Amino acid sequence: MARNAAEPAALPFTRERGRRRPWLVAFRRYRVPYLFILPFFVAFAVFFLYPIGFSLSLSLHEWSGSGPARFVGLGNYRLLLRDELFWGSMLNATILFLIYVPAMTFLALVLASLLHSRYLRLQGLWRALIFLPNITSMVAAGYVFRLMLDTDSGLANRLLSFFGVSPIPWLDDVWWARLSLGLLLVWAWLGWNTVIMLAGLQTISPELLDAARVDGANAAQIFRRITVPLLRPQILFAVTLSIIGTYSLFTEPYVLTRGGPVQATTTPVYQVFTTTFEYAKVGYGAAMSYVYFAVIVVLTLFQFWALSRERPAGRGR
Amino acid sequence: MRRGWSAGALGLVLALVLAGCVGGGEPEQVSTPRPGAETKGQLTVWGWDAAIKSLKVVDAGFRQAYPNVTVKYVAKPPADTYRNIQLALSAGSGAPDVSVIEDSHLAQFVKLGGLADVTDLVKPHTGQVNAYRWKPATKDGRVYAMPWDSGPVAVFYRRDVFSKAGIDPESIRTWDDYYRAAKVIKQRTGVPMWPQPKARNDARLLEMLLWQQGLGYVDAQGNVVLDKDPRIQRTLEFMGRFWREDLSLDAEWWQDAWYKALGGGKVATIPEAVWMGTFFRDFIDPKGTGHWGVFKLPVWEPGGSQASNDGGSTLAIFEQSKQKDAAWAYVEYHLTRPESQLQIYEKTDIFPALETTYQAPFFQEPSEYFGGQKVRQLFVDVVRNIPEAGVYTSEYQEMNALLASQVQSFALGKQTAQQALAKAAAAIRSRTSRA
Repeated sequence: MARNAAEPAALPFTRERGRRRPWLVAFRRYRVPYLFILPFFVAFAVFFLYPIGFSLSLSLHEWSGSGPARFVGLGNYRLLLRDELFWGSMLNATILFLIYVPAMTFLALVLASLLHSRYLRLQGLWRALIFLPNITSMVAAGYVFRLMLDTDSGLANRLLSFFGVSPIPWLDDVWWARLSLGLLLVWAWLGWNTVIMLAGLQTISPELLDAARVDGANAAQIFRRITVPLLRPQILFAVTLSIIGTYSLFTEPYVLTRGGPVQATTTPVYQVFTTTFEYAKVGYGAAMSYVYFAVIVVLTLFQFWALSRERPAGRGR
Repeated sequence: MRRGWSAGALGLVLALVLAGCVGGGEPEQVSTPRPGAETKGQLTVWGWDAAIKSLKVVDAGFRQAYPNVTVKYVAKPPADTYRNIQLALSAGSGAPDVSVIEDSHLAQFVKLGGLADVTDLVKPHTGQVNAYRWKPATKDGRVYAMPWDSGPVAVFYRRDVFSKAGIDPESIRTWDDYYRAAKVIKQRTGVPMWPQPKARNDARLLEMLLWQQGLGYVDAQGNVVLDKDPRIQRTLEFMGRFWREDLSLDAEWWQDAWYKALGGGKVATIPEAVWMGTFFRDFIDPKGTGHWGVFKLPVWEPGGSQASNDGGSTLAIFEQSKQKDAAWAYVEYHLTRPESQLQIYEKTDIFPALETTYQAPFFQEPSEYFGGQKVRQLFVDVVRNIPEAGVYTSEYQEMNALLASQVQSFALGKQTAQQALAKAAAAIRSRTSRA
């Protein structure tokens, strides 16, 4: 590094070498900018790259978090193959995904279209209100949901009882608990998805919509035939994030349902957490996270492939 | 420049982690301290509010005996305390000198290997403490913690509900009697017999009922017995009758509805450890003097055991501590002296494991809160007879979670008791590599 600082004077030499190694020239020319972005990369290396590598090595060991680690090769992975809890948590996340993501994505599209409307007043206020849950502390929100959804004393069941509905076991039944968790997730993440869709809507040329209107298309037709196809990239992006988000859910089930009942809302990352930090099986937990990671990558790739296969007709390019 | 920094940072982290992995070293010997000014130290003690409040009861005396030892308490809920202990053990630094650790978590930490070997120090007290308490504190013949309070179990019952239903608690001898009483009480007063949630069951009552029979997750050899011993299935099926026939209160423990039911006479009994009585008096039913009575656990067969355990805690010294002499002075003063333990019991109602306290007149006195019943003596009778059982193993947290989810599924009517136990046993075997 001392040489880097001393050498700019020897310009011809640098140029000579630079022809063969352009990255070095770039590096020298942009030394200061690189210095400015350095902190991020250092932090990234220390807090992300290094743990990623370290946990890969951990996943090949049996280790309790302290004391000596025992190398077990693929033993942890072999054990995982027949671990019902592990596969159960994958299934839980998949079910949860099917429960809330389609509904949430559709709602976000509709909301974004409404917010985008020229005739809506106080747009800024509505946008802020819709986004507000996303910046609310999930622990606080989850706790409030838990109080509201309590079977005996929760607000939800008290309100329903006015209409003669018998108490619903919101958090005490396998399927209701999954649905309640889905509700909390839609509440928390709808705003985020709406903003993504809204950003996409703003890139659609108003002429297209005007032309459609002149041709006699109604609002529903415009939504289905123009808005949705043109928003394909945004929808893809939002759903991909939802996939990753669902499999790595932790705070929401931890606060709302504590993974229960009957482990029905134990998500993959929740499973990693209990295995690693409560059962002190650090190596096994690391192996789990690697398998989850692989599954998420595969799902994401599949989705990219599935959604980008057919190009929308109106797209021109 | 960039490479230098990041490589340095990486190296530093790596070195830290390696130090954490390798660290530990040879255990050093702790000597029995002599009271007085020679023993010096600034101790950090971890625990939770209730435990720390109790330990503080005798702190004034401790300061007199050891004027040069100061104590700093750090109070966090148990789950946070345990997580912090684990992190400190992983990091190789940051552990306190002493921590309160419950029996349910003790064996795990003993196995992890961060606790100081106190075998020789506790030796003089081996015979003075409830014998069954040494098991989770011991590994390969070495002892790593000093037992503090024990959790003898009995049945707390609402006197008003029983008299309204015309049931004499003395008449309940066997669990079948208990079940019949439950039906009568439900029929005559509409009150369920015990609080046992279905979807939120934590399997702790099942553990207590098994412990009463000397049973647990594993046998003395450490092999899983949940699906092997027919008594375990019988016990779970017994609990199942209360769910099927609507004799149990389906409310999650420590939640609103549960508190209201216990405080408002909406549940007839609760089989639980002695500390539940303390909780009744302190915050569940503080105005309920005379509401509650206690009777010993019904037996499974004539002449069977009436003693079981739930909970219990210890004080452990950490290998990382640089002042183990002072730390042991603290443990010795607080836990092994009958005067200290009696004082703590009288002031904060934490039931001692130290049997040398049991002769004190305080144990014979009637308990005002329990309507003048001699409850303390009853729990002494129970605690002396608690058998060893394979409940608090080094993998207790995991076993409990695996069993609880199967019990929940059974309680909800999704599977039979036999299926629940078979599945729980299979899961435990696969995840803990036990036979």
